[in-house]
Amino acid sequence: MPLSMPSIFFASSRILLVVLLVALILCGCSEVPPDEESEIYRHSEDEAPSSLDPAQAATVYSNMVVVNVFDTLYRYKYLARPYEITPNLALDLPVSSNNGLTYTIRIRPGVEFADDPAFPDGIGREVTVHDLIYSIQRHFDPNVRSQGAWLWSGRIVGLDEWGENGADYAAAIEGLRAIDDYTLEINLTAPYPQLAYTLATGFSALVPREAVEHYGREFAVKPVGSGPFRLNSFNSALATFERNPKFDRGTLDLSAEGYSAERHGEFGLEALDGQRYPFVDGLEIHFIEENAARWNSFISGEVHNVMVPNEQIDVVLESRDPIQLNDELAARFYKHSAQEAGFVYAGFNMADERFGHHPDPQQDAANRALRCAVRDAFDWPARNETFYFGLGQIFPGVIVPMVPEFDASLPTRSVERNVEAANRALDDFGWRDNLPTLSYGMPSSVQMRQMFEQFRAQLQDIGFATDQFLPESFATFGDFSRAMKERQLDLFFLGWTLDYPDAQNTLQLFYSPNATPGSNNFNYSNPDFDVLYEQTLNMQPGPERTALYRRMNEIVVDDCVAISGLSRTRIHLWDKQVRMMPDREILGGFFMRFVDLADDPGEAAVND
Amino acid sequence: MELLSYALRKLIGGIPLILGVTLISFVLMVYFGPDKTFELLSKNPTEAEIAQVRAQLGYDRPFIVRYADYLREMATHDFGFSDSTGERVHSILLRTIPVSLALLAPGFILGNLLGIVLGLIAAWYRGGWVDRLIMAGAVVGMSISFLVVIVAFQALFGVVLGWFPVRGWAVHDLSSYIHYVTVPTLASVFVALGYNTRFFRAVLVEEINRDHVRTARAFGAKPTEILYRNVLMNAMIPIVTRILFSIPLIVVSGSLLIESYFGIPGIGKVTFDAITSGDQPVLKAVVSLTAVMFVLILIATDILYRAVDPRVSLSGNANA
Repeated sequence: MPLSMPSIFFASSRILLVVLLVALILCGCSEVPPDEESEIYRHSEDEAPSSLDPAQAATVYSNMVVVNVFDTLYRYKYLARPYEITPNLALDLPVSSNNGLTYTIRIRPGVEFADDPAFPDGIGREVTVHDLIYSIQRHFDPNVRSQGAWLWSGRIVGLDEWGENGADYAAAIEGLRAIDDYTLEINLTAPYPQLAYTLATGFSALVPREAVEHYGREFAVKPVGSGPFRLNSFNSALATFERNPKFDRGTLDLSAEGYSAERHGEFGLEALDGQRYPFVDGLEIHFIEENAARWNSFISGEVHNVMVPNEQIDVVLESRDPIQLNDELAARFYKHSAQEAGFVYAGFNMADERFGHHPDPQQDAANRALRCAVRDAFDWPARNETFYFGLGQIFPGVIVPMVPEFDASLPTRSVERNVEAANRALDDFGWRDNLPTLSYGMPSSVQMRQMFEQFRAQLQDIGFATDQFLPESFATFGDFSRAMKERQLDLFFLGWTLDYPDAQNTLQLFYSPNATPGSNNFNYSNPDFDVLYEQTLNMQPGPERTALYRRMNEIVVDDCVAISGLSRTRIHLWDKQVRMMPDREILGGFFMRFVDLADDPGEAAVND
Repeated sequence: MELLSYALRKLIGGIPLILGVTLISFVLMVYFGPDKTFELLSKNPTEAEIAQVRAQLGYDRPFIVRYADYLREMATHDFGFSDSTGERVHSILLRTIPVSLALLAPGFILGNLLGIVLGLIAAWYRGGWVDRLIMAGAVVGMSISFLVVIVAFQALFGVVLGWFPVRGWAVHDLSSYIHYVTVPTLASVFVALGYNTRFFRAVLVEEINRDHVRTARAFGAKPTEILYRNVLMNAMIPIVTRILFSIPLIVVSGSLLIESYFGIPGIGKVTFDAITSGDQPVLKAVVSLTAVMFVLILIATDILYRAVDPRVSLSGNANA
């Protein structure tokens, strides 16, 4: 019998219509329709931040939002590389006393927090240095779960004690003194040359106490600040912002921001010189973890920028050296490539006497030989080629190429594979028949496992059997971190992103008082290193300090504590309609205030 | 009255189920879930800071005390704040569940309706080319990875054709809703249809071979009438069971892949993030909600059984 089913389809479509309407009502239509006339810069990031509270701004994703919603005293110049600090909310760079213990900082008068229901009548009040004092105090309040207290811990007179004594916000702190509403005096326990850098981090952003108390823990998703943008909505997929009408920092001075026609001339930035910023009416930051979705969003024009995912490198590039886009993409997009402000490296747990520090000098030397052999077996070029498309910069030591103290003359012996020398050292020190079994910790992911397998294969060349180099994977980075902090891992592979452009930020990873659970995951302890490190703590930047930094770097290399390192290359692409120079290094995001959209897409490409 | 009393009895009977589910889930969270401590700590923590964070997370308290707290939170519907974002858990659920519903309902309804229709057609033409064609299509739908379907649909509809956005959820009216929901719906229907059609066909084929269907045919009843009245209605119990038991997963779990790849802030992504990061307040809320929904669905299923098959008694005695 023939079959026709109009009644079933009719019934189905009625049900579907009802469901659609109900679903639509349920979804709440939470989004406000965009204003067609508004200029919105749509930015993509590869992960979402969890917290927008400056006290927890520990990731680049949090900072991308924090430095745009809040004000920091200082920021980095838009275009200058190496990075240079410049005043933001502060009127000028900090002035220190002769002994380097007292800093005086003046801030701009007349700056106001964005309007918010947290304030009386919903009108944001003026920002004063009391807000800065409060914001730094919060890091030492045990109830805040700060991730940034380490920047000032033990540095500012009375601050640690204030936290230990109950964090009474009414109590004065000797080290943080408001001279008047616009002048702050900071008294240090010892000179701290990196102080200004710490005041450019998202951690140091100024928060209004009214908003913190009004929103309580939800301040982390409802931030209120005095930055160039005001947050409208935030979820795991998208953050939307509108321009803060109260934000006024004058006009963009391109030359003061480090503009160079040679490096930036093609991006159409000249048209913005001398104009008031921020230029766009709003921002959207799209958090797109999946590489394919992020790339498709970019190609279809839904977002204006992308940091090229690894799997697209070969599709995107015409050549790797120099890095050049293929013609089709070059016609549509701008490209900028640069080394990250950080590096990836592997490290040993030096607290393990089987291969780390040992009280017996003879065994200690043998252990060093073992570590050096493992390091010499590691093949950085292979790692670079396999996982970073050969675009990373391999360098010896732990002072990354991004910082001014980088030592380009340091011998590259420590990053060159030398199986022969490794085998010879193992023979000389009697390791040949009693190599220890080593565990290698990593967060669970396909790529981390592939990296491990590559390393294991390389170690077989110096005699490590397959079951002598064992993986230990962890479901989350937190679990991996715990294992590292509890000294359960023999070797680990990590990345480090600079908090500020100063080699001290990576050298502190080897300072023995910072041993786990502190940042010295290596549990490295070398009195010579420690003496030099402490000596540099009080020194201002200069050749003398750089020489000591480099000496410390050599000590770390000589002791074979780490297998280091490689700085990855970031390739940014963006729509030619957008006038900007994107950047996410040094936990950044300051560039967004200088982004502009050309009315005519061809207009931005002035020099094409 | 019989219905109300039945529902009450079932609700009370569901309490041990809820307790069991929450207890097992909580054991898994506490003893096998990720430790959140080190994700909340700074780069340079001290032992005191570690202890402080552990205390704030409640990790230092006995299991029984923590489970009692969980039950109290369930009773008061107050699960506190997310350990990751600091947002109130209640607000997270209110914000994300409607989005997941709006996202997944069309695909769910379409997938089931089309599955039933195709199952009926395939059953009616069992063994013929129509049946083989439908079943071949179902196998294709089941064989292709959901991930591949999503990426392919994004590329096709978003990049190549440019008809719909690749991702996003800027919904503010009916047209924007249709704009953003279409591709995720097509992707989920494409994948679900294969499974649904095969299941419904199997159920319907069994029913179509029964004597009463043959009798109806002998009487010359129209095919649509036979299929609707004699086949579909008599096969409703397994169909209702399958559909209803999928609802809690739609409401609470959402669809991780759809939400992740399409950038839609629904409960699926929130749940996944909570599981992988060890965000216990959010997990506790999701588990509780799922358990309660299952109990409610159990009750609704029994009541619907009675509606579709009068022989079923709510008192527990089936009248043959």
